[in-house]
Amino acid sequence: MDNESIEPILAIENLAFSYRDKPVLRDIKLVLHPGHILALLGPNGAGKSTLIRCICGRLQPDAGRLLVAGADPLKNREARAATGLVPQQIALYPHLTVGENLAAFARLAGVKRKAVGSAVAETIEFCDLAAVAGRPVGRLSGGWQRRVNIGCAMSHSPRLLILDEPTVGIDPPAREEIERLLQRLAAAGLAILMTGHDLAQIEILADSVALLSEGRVAATGAPAGLIREFFGESHECRLTLARPPEAGLVEKLGVLGLQADHDKPLHWSGMIDAHTARDLQSRLPDGAPITELRVRRPGLDTLWAHLYGSELEHAA
Amino acid sequence: MIVTVAKVMWLAVWRDRGTLMLAFVLPPLMFLIFAEVFSGAGDSDLKMRVALLDSAQTPLTRQIVDALAELDGIEPVAQDLDSDRSGIAGLEALVRQGRADAAVWVRAEPDGNLDTEPAIVVIGDASRGLAAAIVTGRVQRLLQAGFPQLGIQRAAARIAELAGPYTEQQRKALDLALSELDSAGLQDRADSDIRHDGLVAQRLLGGGRQVDDGVSYYAGAVAILFLLFAAMQGAISLIDERNSGIVDRLVAGPGGYTVVVVGKGLFLTLQGLAQAGLIFAVAWWMYGIDWIGRFGSWLVTAFLAAAVSAWLGLLLASLCRTRQQAQTASAFVVLILSAIGGSMMPRFLMPGWLRELGWFTPNAWVIESWHGMFWRGDGPAELANGWGVLLATALVAMLISVWLAHRLAREK
Repeated sequence: MDNESIEPILAIENLAFSYRDKPVLRDIKLVLHPGHILALLGPNGAGKSTLIRCICGRLQPDAGRLLVAGADPLKNREARAATGLVPQQIALYPHLTVGENLAAFARLAGVKRKAVGSAVAETIEFCDLAAVAGRPVGRLSGGWQRRVNIGCAMSHSPRLLILDEPTVGIDPPAREEIERLLQRLAAAGLAILMTGHDLAQIEILADSVALLSEGRVAATGAPAGLIREFFGESHECRLTLARPPEAGLVEKLGVLGLQADHDKPLHWSGMIDAHTARDLQSRLPDGAPITELRVRRPGLDTLWAHLYGSELEHAA
Repeated sequence: MIVTVAKVMWLAVWRDRGTLMLAFVLPPLMFLIFAEVFSGAGDSDLKMRVALLDSAQTPLTRQIVDALAELDGIEPVAQDLDSDRSGIAGLEALVRQGRADAAVWVRAEPDGNLDTEPAIVVIGDASRGLAAAIVTGRVQRLLQAGFPQLGIQRAAARIAELAGPYTEQQRKALDLALSELDSAGLQDRADSDIRHDGLVAQRLLGGGRQVDDGVSYYAGAVAILFLLFAAMQGAISLIDERNSGIVDRLVAGPGGYTVVVVGKGLFLTLQGLAQAGLIFAVAWWMYGIDWIGRFGSWLVTAFLAAAVSAWLGLLLASLCRTRQQAQTASAFVVLILSAIGGSMMPRFLMPGWLRELGWFTPNAWVIESWHGMFWRGDGPAELANGWGVLLATALVAMLISVWLAHRLAREK
């Protein structure tokens, strides 16, 4: 069954929101189906947090339509019950054990008292939390706390899981655990909307991305498709020189399509076609003072730099 | 380097309005309250509400009562003419009900007879023994300054008792001296400390139980102080949850945030109830107050005191942005409410304006309610007024807190 025939969990059409007459979101169109992971990307101030607040029913859009599980989350309790939010912070009670946290958030999310036990057991099993179920959350490592943070948003069996930077501040092994957990959740049919700045991770995890810019969706689609759409078969080339290039080398690099980075005169980069990429080494003059040469297929970070005009670390 | 550390600390204080208030505004404010109470500094001297009764109705006793009524620091309290109880019973009722701090009963014309009971009786409440002592002192000072012949009469009688009766000649000389006595001149003399022992007696009324002796007052005063402190501290968890993202998580769900605020209000109320229970259990066990006998009324007051504390705490936490801000504000609010409301010192010691201001604090209503039931034996009818005020305060604080929670959840 293709996506078109399945009712989306999240459907946003022409959504607009202004804060004190200043447009924050404009003409937003997004669709998220069960089992899919959509990553919401954009620099600070692009409108990601506002959009998430609209989806959670905390803000009333000025225009457009927003449906979660077929209903308006602002007015419909069932729509909100279909949502699980994982905030960027560790939003847990540190003195309570993992099991107690899961039970508390399940109850607060509307799970009936009698069903709490089984909901907690299922979450513990699904999130692989059995080893720490009886331990106070405040004494767990950052990685475990992140997993419990996700578990607490799932204990009422939502259909849409919203994660705000779920892997921020944890080490690579713990991040991989979270990635595997999110993939399992998506495979189990949960629709996942996430934000983050780890573009390499998002490229692996997300079925689709939506890049926001000044409150609009600047680009949306599957990461690979988007990259191809923007860059075709081009490759990204980065080159570092040992000393400032002479006039001949500058001309040669220009012909290849490379430009010196704005504030780093020894760093040159640019998009080159596939043919040039294959024999780039032979096209460079002998004896050129190159200390590093990197050629790769463009990624989301390349797209980010292309759209937002800056490197990720500066934008974030 | 040492100066740098000091400078950093100063800037931290200077830029934090809460700390600044706590460090530099609260201390002088608390001093002003204590100074008003204990030193009579400022315009208002310590005024005692005193009920007066002249049973003798002689020219001299009328003169004494009139002089008492005009005395600085005495605010005469009129007896309720419609009351069933008049005379001495009415006088005692005024003191028991706390409508008068003390009463002065002129039961007979003072004379030199050493065998009779004291002519003037100052009636006080045992739980406010200090008030009776102050009024007794003022009555004695009045007699000494305004009616010195009374003291000399008694001194002469005492001498006669010790050394034998006066001769006729001595008697005449004494009577003449007394009739020509210049009271103003006597007052100015350094040795004018004529005692009026035997002229003024002090009688303290027991409350519902003789064993109480003010314990119920201090049990209530301490209980509401700590209820407020504990509730304010507990309510600060609202801010922690807001900052940790728990509120964001809950608001996204079907239950919303209101349920969290109400749940916290319920817990803090129950916690306060338990705290008050512990304090009164100790008062019952150690001092024998009639806690069990008046448990129903106690429970109503305790519940209302705990609810008021809980919802005032939650209201304060809802209005603050950071934990530090809330901690500073709660310390400020609790200390001021407790100082004005009678948790730190009895309100009868306060000047009139401060005593009236006290009615705007929950402390005063809670203390009066508990004290009334244990000391005066007040029943639900007498306590209803205080209960109503506490209930209304708790409800208003709850409604505002819930409204703020709702606004936070559905922002625009």
